[in-house]
Amino acid sequence: MAPTNRPDAGRPDPDALIAAFRRESAGRLKVFLGAAPGVGKTYAMLQNARRLRHEGVDVVIGLVETHGRAETSALVEGLEVLPRRSIEYHGRALEEFDIDAALARKPKLIVVDELAHTNAPDSRHPKRWQDVQELLDAGISVWTALNIQHLESLADVVSRITGVAVRETVPDRVLHEAADVVLVDLTPDELIQRLNDGKVYVPETARRATQNFFTPGNLTALRELALRRTANRVDDQMVDYLREKAIEGPWAASERLLACVGADEVSERVIRRATQLATGLNADWIAVTVETIGEASDAKRANRLAKVFGLAERLGGQTMRLQGSDYPSEILRLAARENVTQIVLGQSRAGLWRRILGRSLPEALMRGAGGIEIHIVPGEEARPSSWPRLKPLLSRRGLGPELAVALVSVAAAVAVAEALSAALKLPNLSMIFLTAVLFCAVRFGTRAAVLASLASFAAYNFFFIEPIYTFTVAQPQELFALLIFLAVAVLTGSLTGRIRDQREMVVGNAELTQSLYDYSRKLSGASRPDDVLWAAAAHLHGTFGGRIVLLVAEGDELQIRAAWPPDAQLDAAALGAANWAQQKREPAGWGTGTLPRIAYQFRPLLAARGAIAVCGFEPHSADQPINAEDERALTAILGLTAIALDRALLAREAVNAATMQENEKVRDALLDSLSHDLRTPLSSIAGAASSLRALGDKMSPDERVELLSSIEDETGRLARFVANLLDMSRIEAGGLKVARDLVSIADVVQGAVDRSRKAFPGEPVRVSLAPNLPFVRGDDKLLEQVLFNLLDNAHKYAGEAGAIVHARQEGEEIVLTVTDEGPGIKLAELERIFEKFYRGGRPDGRKAGTGLGLSISRRLVEAMGGSIVAHSPAVRRRGTRFVVRLPVAQATPIASSPAA
Amino acid sequence: MTDPRVLVVDDEPQIQRFLTVALTAAGFQVQTAETGAQALRAAATGAPDLIVLDLGLPDRDGKDVLRDIRQFSTIPVIVLSARDREAEKIEALDLGADDYVEKPFGIGELTARLRAALRHAAHVSQPVQQIEVEGVVMDFDKRLVTRDGAPIKLTPKEYDLLAVLFRNAGRVVTHRQILASVWGPAHHEDTQYLRVFIGQLRAKIERDPTAPAIVKTEPGVGYRAAEPEARSASPGDAH
Repeated sequence: MAPTNRPDAGRPDPDALIAAFRRESAGRLKVFLGAAPGVGKTYAMLQNARRLRHEGVDVVIGLVETHGRAETSALVEGLEVLPRRSIEYHGRALEEFDIDAALARKPKLIVVDELAHTNAPDSRHPKRWQDVQELLDAGISVWTALNIQHLESLADVVSRITGVAVRETVPDRVLHEAADVVLVDLTPDELIQRLNDGKVYVPETARRATQNFFTPGNLTALRELALRRTANRVDDQMVDYLREKAIEGPWAASERLLACVGADEVSERVIRRATQLATGLNADWIAVTVETIGEASDAKRANRLAKVFGLAERLGGQTMRLQGSDYPSEILRLAARENVTQIVLGQSRAGLWRRILGRSLPEALMRGAGGIEIHIVPGEEARPSSWPRLKPLLSRRGLGPELAVALVSVAAAVAVAEALSAALKLPNLSMIFLTAVLFCAVRFGTRAAVLASLASFAAYNFFFIEPIYTFTVAQPQELFALLIFLAVAVLTGSLTGRIRDQREMVVGNAELTQSLYDYSRKLSGASRPDDVLWAAAAHLHGTFGGRIVLLVAEGDELQIRAAWPPDAQLDAAALGAANWAQQKREPAGWGTGTLPRIAYQFRPLLAARGAIAVCGFEPHSADQPINAEDERALTAILGLTAIALDRALLAREAVNAATMQENEKVRDALLDSLSHDLRTPLSSIAGAASSLRALGDKMSPDERVELLSSIEDETGRLARFVANLLDMSRIEAGGLKVARDLVSIADVVQGAVDRSRKAFPGEPVRVSLAPNLPFVRGDDKLLEQVLFNLLDNAHKYAGEAGAIVHARQEGEEIVLTVTDEGPGIKLAELERIFEKFYRGGRPDGRKAGTGLGLSISRRLVEAMGGSIVAHSPAVRRRGTRFVVRLPVAQATPIASSPAA
Repeated sequence: MTDPRVLVVDDEPQIQRFLTVALTAAGFQVQTAETGAQALRAAATGAPDLIVLDLGLPDRDGKDVLRDIRQFSTIPVIVLSARDREAEKIEALDLGADDYVEKPFGIGELTARLRAALRHAAHVSQPVQQIEVEGVVMDFDKRLVTRDGAPIKLTPKEYDLLAVLFRNAGRVVTHRQILASVWGPAHHEDTQYLRVFIGQLRAKIERDPTAPAIVKTEPGVGYRAAEPEARSASPGDAH
């Protein structure tokens, strides 16, 4: 990063402002820091809490260990204390801080003692500091206590000073990000005095260890560490303050550190050193490893690497895994991308081989990036081995298969050379061995090639160099040839092997790319969200094995929308982890810091508008972290899925919006026609009535009669329309009572036809009924209404020809039909005509009727257990036939006989 | 003077029926049309003096018919419309309709609108010097407004505003039309402005400004000055 030549000098640093804003929206953390147990942290915390309580602040005790000390217990008196959560674990009852109760209570400030505490298994977070983090995120301020020895970066220093191993640690960043740190100080002499007075609680089991711990020397050292830490913090705060206020100052340009690590012992030291440097510089840092394809899939190595990375994360570093075989150039590329200013690496990474070639890692790095400072951390012990490069080769994993391959190849070479030894000169025989070495390199990689070189060297010497069948060499020039052979064999073998390794890596990458390509093609064909989710579940299962679940929020709850196997279920704890992943947009469950004992790991699928889904998967094995290759594939697949799902969801929302708009249009049209239907008869009536009153004396008697009959007709029309509307609203409100009486179809037909003739004089109706029709069960008034509506409809659309009503029995049903000879109805409209307010076009292009009659008829018939459909054309390619089917009444009446 | 010819365009037979009977009795010669196409033909060939146009026609929108009629004729057009279709009414008025009647309507209201439209058509061809509405007399030559002989002091804008309303007395004038003719076309959206001026005008000319009898509000559409004092016999005296 460029030095402090700030073009915007005088303006507050935006990063500093953002940090300040974060501090304001989240809760504030105040840490009471002490050098050792017994200095009075809890006491100081509670005293302050009481004072705030007295001032009216909403203070709650989340958890405080009084260790039975009376003066501390007295301070808790009168403060609100949250009940603890009891956990049954292996038959023991453990009491833990209840984070859910604290979140639900949501006080302004909560006191949670002992930040370094490890929670009982099955808790949401393994460590208490993670609980505290969640409280802070929820906007609750937290006061807590911490001993300096529990700080991660100081843990090994402390154990070296005191000789007591520190197991419970807190990442440095927790302290670093705390809003306030209060040092609770006590001189070593006073502390020892308190201990001797029995004022310091010490568990019985640890009594002996503490004897050694509480020595003036140890306490002085710890006190110095605590004072220093606090002083550093005050320093940082000063710089932050200056930046926030845009005060020009001598603060350093922002630095960025890169710690190069591997799966070896020195890596942890590299990380601790990087942390110390970074803390001093107030800089960010990244721990990075570069691995070859073989290393990436090595489970043991991955395990060790996970431990190293875990340490880096706890110490506040970012972690990265790169794949490649050219270590320096990968590192330099990353350094350039991330604006790294300093690189920290361990000594053992530079091998003899590279030193011979002048390509040791530090040298290569320095040559590649002039401006970058390089720190080298020496290994734990010096490595005097003359084969530093080979040592890891030999020790990394069992050499069984490679050794066997090398020996077999060399044996074959011996046999061939033996057969040809008569024909060929001695030096040419070495070519046969070289062939064996190259064969091993091409087929089995570098290690097999190096082994084959060594075996060839021995065999060539043993079988062919005078004196034969000994390892001694008679002629000095032959020794020279032999050594040349060895050098050539190792060199060509390892180079060829490296090419092979690289090819394998490329093939691996190509396979991943191909698989992602196939998957993205599959996704591009999935248009519905569920299709995308099912494709994702199947693909993830195919790639990683194990059970896969995909969850999407339905309302407030996450629900499984796709899974492989399809019947996979989640228990409440797993659902909790899934919810966490969705809300916090962070991985949860197995292998994470949240609910790590769940069998699944859940990862959010992130889109621009947030976590749109959560994917849960089971690891291959619960003890091994995900290797780099799988991690890359998983990240890529989830990324693709998130994009496809987001697209599908957006598409669905667009369709919904369009449908809503369409519905609105339909509703507008409906209101339109409704108002037209009401207004037209009203207009005629009002117009005719006012005309008669104002102009009646100027009209002829015929004209007056015409206006009066128009008033009558329109009143009838209006009355029918209103009746239909009322019927419809009664049906829709569920208030229409349908009687279940025995009904004679003949009576119903008679009634409806009479009404029709009265209402539409001049419209002919013909009736033909089969004799002796049985009763149906229903409501005679409503059935008459149904038939009347059908006749009304026939008159409206059929024109002059009139309607034919017919009834007959078919099996257990009465079939009642109304047929007209109008123009008929288009096939597409045969069902739509039963929709509410739907009206067919009239031959003269006008709309007619209310669009309610048929809809009401269908509802009524269905309420009586029957059905109604329309057929068209009905007769001679014209007309429409409405067919009503009603079930015949089962119980025959005893006393009454059918009328007419 | 022969009876004025009125063309009634409506697709509902029952409305046609009563309008024919009633308007004939009120002294009009009635022609009818049921579709937009028939209406255009009748307007072009039948030389009607007035057109009553329903906006909901089976073959095409009544507003389109109106637009076509205005291509070749300035015959007064009275639109039949529904109360809940304000936007449609305003659009029709801005397209050149002379007035509107809301369905359902009484025959008295319709004949009053028809008379006002006929009178306005006559004014356009033969400008008047003086108009009297509800006791307020506006003299265009003298630029003078009096109530019961006593002069009323109006600002120039108030005078212009009242002039627009009085020249169209009995007819509705839309906000847009008033704004464009008094303040210029650039201001045709400033309805709030107009409301303030109408309030001031009413305070000066109305007997009771809280119950205006001279300048009446047509909600959502515009304003209408009351019928002027009749000085010549006009057809259709239904009262």
